[in-house]
Parts: sequence; structure tokens; C-alpha cells
Amino acid sequence: MNGRRWFWLYFAATLLVIVFLFPFLWMLLTAFKQEGYGLVFSLRVPYTLDNFRRVLFQFNFGRYFLNSLIIATASALFSTLFASLAAYAFAKGRFPLRRTLFVIFLSSMMVPGLLYLVPQFLIVYRLHWINTYWGMIVPHLANVFGLFLLTQFLREVPDSLLEAARMDGASELRIFGWIIVPLAMPIIATVFLLNFQFHWANFLWQLVVAQDQSMYTLPVGLAMFKGQHQEAYSLEMAAATLSVVPIAVLFVFAQRYFIEGITRGAVKG
Amino acid sequence: MTDTWKTRATYLLFILPFTVVFLIFLGFPFLYAFYLSFHRITNLLNILSGLKFAGLANYLYILKDPEFYWGVIASLYYGALSIPFGMAVSLGLALLVRPRKPLLKAYRTLFFLPFVLDAFVVGIVWTFLYAPRYGVFTQVLHWLHLASLDFGVLASPATAMPGVVLAMTLKNAGFGMVLFLAALDQIPREVLEAADIDGATGLRKLWYVTLPQLKPVMLFLVVVGIIGALSAFAEFYAMTGGGPTMFLWGKPVGATKVAGYYLFEHFSNMRVGIAAATSFVLLLLSLGISLLSMRLFGRRS
Repeated sequence: MNGRRWFWLYFAATLLVIVFLFPFLWMLLTAFKQEGYGLVFSLRVPYTLDNFRRVLFQFNFGRYFLNSLIIATASALFSTLFASLAAYAFAKGRFPLRRTLFVIFLSSMMVPGLLYLVPQFLIVYRLHWINTYWGMIVPHLANVFGLFLLTQFLREVPDSLLEAARMDGASELRIFGWIIVPLAMPIIATVFLLNFQFHWANFLWQLVVAQDQSMYTLPVGLAMFKGQHQEAYSLEMAAATLSVVPIAVLFVFAQRYFIEGITRGAVKG
Repeated sequence: MTDTWKTRATYLLFILPFTVVFLIFLGFPFLYAFYLSFHRITNLLNILSGLKFAGLANYLYILKDPEFYWGVIASLYYGALSIPFGMAVSLGLALLVRPRKPLLKAYRTLFFLPFVLDAFVVGIVWTFLYAPRYGVFTQVLHWLHLASLDFGVLASPATAMPGVVLAMTLKNAGFGMVLFLAALDQIPREVLEAADIDGATGLRKLWYVTLPQLKPVMLFLVVVGIIGALSAFAEFYAMTGGGPTMFLWGKPVGATKVAGYYLFEHFSNMRVGIAAATSFVLLLLSLGISLLSMRLFGRRS
């Protein structure tokens, strides 16, 4: 390619990056605009942190942020742990019904998530878990996609490595903790991040389970806020920023893990 | 002998937490939803004790309900717009950022970034861009003399759906881009060299040589797109609330009231039987359409 074509390629790509990210840049700008200027179509307006202060304290988004963080972290932690343990057994163990179970688990990936809404809600209702962290976290701790990624990876760990450890008298739990986890750390990180991202954005389920303000997560709080305050765009954008920025920062720092997990899943699945 | 028994027991312990959660919250609910789809709630104060067998009534209700058909049509319309558009954008991005040159790698990251965000929150941000008078999008349309300032993209029936499609395509295109990039790297060099020898260049090479090699990714995107369209909800909840109202053969319908929205409304009114039946009809539809597209795509190769 000659210089001219490179110029146009970069020109087009840069323009598209701006188009793709513009909504979020505009969200940020609006979130910092002083009250009364949020709707002014101009950059030359007074800026302030006041919207964030009001959203966090007056409108309780501090609490929603905390809820989102607790739910996403706890869910990601436990579902990654459960999936890793199970993946080791499926990849390297021998036990009855191993193949059957694995096929059953994987086939559930074909079912659209919407189907689970009604029955899961009734189960959580019967367990008296409506409006609790339990209700928001536990139903999603069996992460089939994570199990699939981890099992694929662990199948490639050489058996000789495990045999050697067994010769030395190491228990299976020890092997898991001291050999498998360190070896699989990159893929474990991937599964953790994908889970975290999923729960950070698991709007519909949180909307259904959180009935009291104290249990709202960021997107649920945003939905309720929007219902009560029409056209309070600066505050709305400040609240949206609270939800977008943490996951965006996490992504930029750990993008390798995100992208690898998603491509691996799609290519092999 | 005792040793193998012991290791087997250990493995079973390893799969225990995952399996228990799976059985209670994914396996059982699937069967439970099927059971619910044949039942009706008679006591709203105690949903569980008031379940009564209703035979096929829920399924018959749906299949006689014009709103359900409209929901399916709206979902399919959503898919028919977003799948080809999304695929074209994804492929365009992939070809654009493919060369291993400075900056383009960072651009890949930036294009992919919106994909990890929440569809609901992204929808809220776009609602602001589309707002009449104050919205940037509206201002730009006005500046181009395409619409008046009072025009709301999401408020008029003809543009509401394309408005949602544009927002969600820009959010999700990075996903397709990453898959296309991976597939482009897999194309054997001999294939491209053979094309060069035959004198194929530019667009012809793209159409006749590169695209056929990308078929598996396209098929995957079509299937994922169909399942996604038939269970889409959050973006519509954020952006249109199922509206705006339009008239179809004299009857009012929500222009973007997709099937997922139909299901949610029945669910939030505690008509769980109808909601469950709807989800099974949608499951069958998405499986059917996915199989059909696998057939169609598969045969041409």
C-alpha cells in the first residue's frame, strides 16, 4: 500500500473510533456540566463535580454502586471457583456419569436466558430470597461457559505432571491448588472477568429481585431514577458514568483476557 | 482399590458445588418452566399454593393473541435489521484494523470496548443522544436539514426500531470484529496467493476469496443474532418502553414491543403461566430458525 492509502485508512479508522466512542464522551461531558447547562448544546459551559455529589449522596447511587460491586465480585469469585473445581474433575478425573453430565451442562447454553426468568424467580421467591444478595448471586453461580473454557484448557495439561505429584503423595485438592490453579491462572482470570462483567450488567434479573431501594444495583437505580425524574439528563449521565467507567477501565487494563476468552469460546463452541 | 474409590469421591466432591447450583437454578427451572406453562395462578397473594392445572390454555391464549404475533414480528424485524448491518460493520472494522501497524491495535481495543458495557445503560445514553431538541443526534439531523428539532428518533414508529438498531450495533460490532479478525488470520496463505496469481484484486478478491472463508463466523453471528433478537429486552426497556404506539389494521400496537417485552409484561403482571408458555414458543422458534439458517448457509459451500 502506498502512503495515500494509509492516510485514508487511518483517517477512516480514526473517524470511526470517534463515532463509536462519542456517546460515552458525550455522557462524560454532560455528567460534568453544571446544573441547567446539561441540555445546552455547547462545550463552553461551566463544569462541576456537583452532579456526582448529588447522584452519589442525595439520590443514593453510592449505595447502588456498593451493591453492584458486592454482587459482581461475590458472583465472579464463587462462580469461577465452582467452575474451576468442576473443570478439573471433568478434564482429568474419572467418575460415573462424567460425559453425560458434561453434555447436559453444555446443552443448557442453547437455551435463551429469558426462559429462566419465570421459574428462577419463583424458586427464589419460595426460598425467601427476594430482595437479598443471595437471590441476586446464587442462581447464577453455575457458569457453564466458564466451565467449558476451563475444561478445554485443563485437558491440555500433561497427565505426567499430575502423576508425578501423586507419586509424591499429594492429594487431589493439593494438586488443584498448587499445580492446576497456577497453570490455569490466565484462563481463570478470563473467566473471572467475564463473570464480573456479566453480573455488573445483569439488569433484568436485578430489576426483578431487588424490590427495595436499599438493594438496587446501578442499572436498576438508573431505571428507577429515570422513571421519577424526566429530563434530568446531567444527573442521569452522571449515574450512567458510575456504571460505565469501572467496567471500561477494567476492560482496558485486562482486555487481553476478555478478548481471548470470547474468541476461544466462539471458535470452539 | 480403596485409593481409586477415594479419588473418585474427591472428583465427585469437586463437581458438587457446580452441579448442585446447576440442578437447582438451571436444570430444575427448565422443567419447572415447562410445568408452569400448563398452569395458571389463581391466588395472587400466594403464588405457589394457588397453581392450577390449565391444560393448553396458556399456549392457546398466546397463539390467539395478535400482540404475541406482533412481538415475534417486531423481534424478527429487529434481527433482520441488526444482523446484516452488524455483520457489515464488524467486517468493515476488521478489515480496517487488520494491518499490523501502530495505533491500529489500540483502535481494536476501543472498538471492542462498548461490547462489555451494559445494554441497558448504553440504551439510556443513546436515549439522551436521540432526545428531541437537546439530543446531539437530533441537532445533527437538524443541522443537515433532515429533520426538525422537535423530531424524536425513538418517538416515531418508523424510526424507533432503526434507532435502537444503530445504538446496539455500535455497541456490539466489536464482538463480530474480533471474531472476523481471528478468522482472517486462519485463512491459509496459499489461498490468497493463488488468488493473486489468478489476478484477483481488491473487491473481487474480498468477495470471491476472503468472504467464503469467513462463512463459519457469519453463521455463528447469524445464530447468536437470532437468539439475541428473540430474547432482547433491556435495550427496549431503556430506549422505547415498547413504544411508540402505532396502528396496525386499526389496532394500537407498540412499534418496538418485541417478544421479550411481551413476555416481561405478562411476567410482571404475575401471569407466569403465559410468560412460561411464551418462553417455550420462543425457544422453539429460535431453535427452528437457527437450524434453518445452518441448513441454508451450510448448503452453499
